[in-house]
Amino acid sequence: MTAPGGGALATRGGATVRRMKWSLELSLGNSRSRGDRQSKDGDVMYPVGYSDKPVPDTSVQEADRNLVEKRCWDVALGPLKQIPMNLFIMYMSGNTISIFPIMMVCMMAWRPIQALMSMSATFKLLESSSQQWLQGLVYLIGNLLGSALAVYKCQSMGLLPTHSSDWLAFIEPPQRLEIMGGGMVM
Amino acid sequence: MAWLVVRLAISMSLLYTASAVFEDQVGKFDWRQQFIGKVRFALFDTHSQASKKLLLATDKNVFASLNSRTGDLFWRHVDKTGPEGHIDALLMYGQDAVVVVGNGRLLRSWETTVGGLKWETVLDTGSFQAAALVGVQDFVKYVAVLKKSAISLHDLSSGSEIWVENLPDSDSVQYQTIYSGGNGLVLVLGVVPNSHIVIVEYKIEDGEIMNKKSVEAAWMSSLESSCAVVSSGILLCVDQITQSLYTLPLQSAEQTEMRQIHLQTLDLEVVSGFRPVLTSTQPNPAQPPLSEFFLQLSPDHHILLQFKDGLIAPLRDFNPAYLAAFATSGERTVAAVMSPKNDTACSINLFSADTGRRHLDTTIIYHMDPNGGKPNRLYVHAFLKKDDSVGYRVMVQTEDLALTFLQQPGRVVWMREEALADVVTMEMVDLPFTGTQAELEGEFGKKAAIQDGLLPMVLKRLSSQFILLQAWLAHLWKLFYDARKPRSSVKNEVTIDVLSRDEFNLQKMMLMVTASGKLFGIDSKSGTILWKQYLENIQPNSVFKLIVQRTTAHFPHPPQCTLLIKNKDTGLGSLYVFNPIFGKKSQISVPALPRPILQTLLLPVIDQDYAKVLLLIDDQYKVTAFPSTKNVLQQLQDTASSIFFYLVDSSQGKLSGFRLRKDLSTELIWEVVIPTEVQKIVAVKGKRANEHVHSQGRVMGDRSVLYKYLNPNLLAVITESTDTHQERSFVGIILIDGVTGRIVHEAVQRKARGPVHFVHSENWVVYVYWNSKFRRNEFSVLELFEGAELYNSTVFSSLDRPHPPQVLQQSYIFPAPINTLEATLTEKGITSRHLLVGLPSGNILSLPKLFLDPRRPEMVSEQSREENLIPYAPEMPIREEWFINYNQTVSRVRGIYTAPSGLESTCLVVAYGLDIYQSRVFPSKQFDVLKDDYDYILISSVLFGLFFATMISKRLAEVKLLNRAWR
Repeated sequence: MTAPGGGALATRGGATVRRMKWSLELSLGNSRSRGDRQSKDGDVMYPVGYSDKPVPDTSVQEADRNLVEKRCWDVALGPLKQIPMNLFIMYMSGNTISIFPIMMVCMMAWRPIQALMSMSATFKLLESSSQQWLQGLVYLIGNLLGSALAVYKCQSMGLLPTHSSDWLAFIEPPQRLEIMGGGMVM
Repeated sequence: MAWLVVRLAISMSLLYTASAVFEDQVGKFDWRQQFIGKVRFALFDTHSQASKKLLLATDKNVFASLNSRTGDLFWRHVDKTGPEGHIDALLMYGQDAVVVVGNGRLLRSWETTVGGLKWETVLDTGSFQAAALVGVQDFVKYVAVLKKSAISLHDLSSGSEIWVENLPDSDSVQYQTIYSGGNGLVLVLGVVPNSHIVIVEYKIEDGEIMNKKSVEAAWMSSLESSCAVVSSGILLCVDQITQSLYTLPLQSAEQTEMRQIHLQTLDLEVVSGFRPVLTSTQPNPAQPPLSEFFLQLSPDHHILLQFKDGLIAPLRDFNPAYLAAFATSGERTVAAVMSPKNDTACSINLFSADTGRRHLDTTIIYHMDPNGGKPNRLYVHAFLKKDDSVGYRVMVQTEDLALTFLQQPGRVVWMREEALADVVTMEMVDLPFTGTQAELEGEFGKKAAIQDGLLPMVLKRLSSQFILLQAWLAHLWKLFYDARKPRSSVKNEVTIDVLSRDEFNLQKMMLMVTASGKLFGIDSKSGTILWKQYLENIQPNSVFKLIVQRTTAHFPHPPQCTLLIKNKDTGLGSLYVFNPIFGKKSQISVPALPRPILQTLLLPVIDQDYAKVLLLIDDQYKVTAFPSTKNVLQQLQDTASSIFFYLVDSSQGKLSGFRLRKDLSTELIWEVVIPTEVQKIVAVKGKRANEHVHSQGRVMGDRSVLYKYLNPNLLAVITESTDTHQERSFVGIILIDGVTGRIVHEAVQRKARGPVHFVHSENWVVYVYWNSKFRRNEFSVLELFEGAELYNSTVFSSLDRPHPPQVLQQSYIFPAPINTLEATLTEKGITSRHLLVGLPSGNILSLPKLFLDPRRPEMVSEQSREENLIPYAPEMPIREEWFINYNQTVSRVRGIYTAPSGLESTCLVVAYGLDIYQSRVFPSKQFDVLKDDYDYILISSVLFGLFFATMISKRLAEVKLLNRAWR
């Protein structure tokens, strides 16, 4: 009875030796996995906070300013640049009402709206630019144009309730003013 | 190769047999009941003991065979309507039934087991008088038919004419009966009213006149009604003026005048004003009649008499006795007599015919229906029992055309309500809520709320909730209990008590008014008659109008229907107010109607008890309101200026409109006269009051709107020309505003004639007429539109309509004649409309209104395709799968009634004629209901499967995540 039980314990004990649930290693010498990388670099120990890559010079220079300016214009002109692409997609998807054109239109309408809603975040991005207001305006116009394009697409697909027939179901039957009845003389 | 082609053809033809109703849907929500009408002749098949056949000929020109054990039809032959198909006589011998049809036009012999026609002979012209089977030497071989001026003898097995002889002096003598006693002679009896009787003897073999004599009978006016032949050729007549019986041996040469026997000598007396009736019986046509006969002296006094050696002796006096009849089984003839037992029951007893002695243990108790009529005909089926005693069953016909088949000791074997063969008008009423639902409604009724305080209300609420719980548990228990039983044994007995509105209001109460004056309440789901009420003293040509004044929606108040019955002769009307669910007469006092009623008008105005107000217009154009409480009169005064009514007098060709004044008198505001010399008004129809139109316009191909001209006051008047010549006849239609009398549109169909059937609904009128030039039926549709703009979208007033509507019209060829036409009706009017066409074949065609659209283009364009308009084709198709009643044909369909159900997609249809058929139609398919074959098991198993799969995979994912975190 006791012999197999003792054996099982022994094996479990053996496993504990091989692999523990967790362990803290203060010495680097016999590390198995984590120490492997460092052991390639040799046995040199770096102090805490040491990085072997060189740190770039972060001081602002004149050339960078132009770069920032350019980057900001990129952000501001982004929506406008998408318009030709959207036009192409619009042309390709056609005016039939099926799942793909609907998805396209939804995407086209949703993206500018999303952009307009996160306008303040974009402004923050453009904060560093000197032409911040102009860029913001361009960005706004670009998005408005994008959404206008989406509306135009909806219109051409017939999704906008712009006809009187679209409101037909909401017309209440007129109230009758006279009560009338009768028939053939019985 | 050939068989391949044949197989291909068969498989192709199978492809086209798809029908509108699936096989497993047959009888699921539809039912048909077949009727025959008022019985004129009834004969029991006594050919063999085990025979269950009962042959009936009725006033509806129907010849049918019933199963006498169940009351079901074995077979039925429906002949032409009117005098052409009128059944004059029915004779039966052995397996053959001989019928004379159409005032002696045709003589037919039917095989009674399967109802097949054995032979048919066309008879010579002349009005029919009598027909009789003629036997020679105990064997019946011939049938003799007596016409006004000729007699003919036909062979019974082939129908071939043996001989036909003209009757002597047929212009002065009225020949009325035939008698044959099996001695090789046929005797024809005629009378010259108030002068003498003529007896002519014909030899059977060749029709030679053997003897002719005349006997004085100055008192006699008609042979048929007052005479009978008894014993071995003794003519027996009764006369109520001289209060005597007269006897005459037909074949004796010496007696040349009738012997008079005063009734007083027999201690009998005829009640004054009653025409006495003699009833004799001739069990075998090849033998002389029995010497016993019944004499009826008053409506409830019969006497069984015997003629023996020239003397008449009473055998038994039956006083009181309503009905008496003879019946023969084998060699024994019995007499059944119905006598009143008490107020509600009658007893029928059997007596031996030759002695008048009562048979023991033969009483049948007949319970009279308190809501029915009195019995007026008795048909007896006698049979020999194993112990050689005589047993019998009786069929009783009552005034209200109910046939009851009884057997001893009074068990009703079956019952048929033949009054339903002649439905005049009908309505459908919603069923009330269940008792528990009603309980809840009552709790929150306004009266209860005001009286009680807070605490009693809470208690009430709790108690009603408890009742609901109880009902639910009982329902569950019932479900469980029923589920254990095999399906066939679960019988859903429908009674008034268990009736309640179903979830979608698909089950309704059908109120049917029949020409005989009997009202029926029928469950629309099963066709069970839930209540019936016979209204006595209804003239046969009365006009009925059924009005639903209060529906079941106003709970503590019972629903209320009013039936206006107008006597055509006197013109006077009477009101019968009743509860449509239980059929009970209402206690509400009805107004006396001293003057003839011309029309009625149901107002949307309601009194304090939620009953709609009914206005009755009399011949002086005065108005009576019903109910006429103070509240109602006040409301009427307030709204009087907006209440209009119109009357159409087709005899004068006059349409007139009236306006109500505050004092309930009226003023004439318009009048249109259509000259009666040229055309006559055939029919006029407004729109149905319960019709809803969901869409106010139609969407065009360019997405603009063409608004419908929805004038609720518009009337369609159909006229027909008085000139019926096919070149000059025409059918006219006038659309007229019922308030202002303004003629909105007028159209004439030249070279056309009626009968015109039409439907007026929404903004369209569809009518059908006969095109006499091309000899075909044509449909024509008129649609009215306001145009691209609504004049006034909030209110509609006929008095303020400056612009006439645009009218479009188109006609189509319909390849069948039509009996009746109706349009489907749904709750909100969203579902597309279909026309229900009753065809003479008994089929009901559901024709999409889409086909009857005057905007159907001749040339297909982009826009018309956008609108889903079918290109115009003059021929209207009839597709077999459009028949809503597959093979359940409705004979002589006369009317179709449509009612909306609680489901928008579903419309309830009742077609009535000789038969009644109830079904549901789905003009736009069942868009708001899951299909019958919806796979609940698959869907729910998939759902459950997915649910468990997510549970398991979620657990697995958790485990895996944890494991990964430990790595």
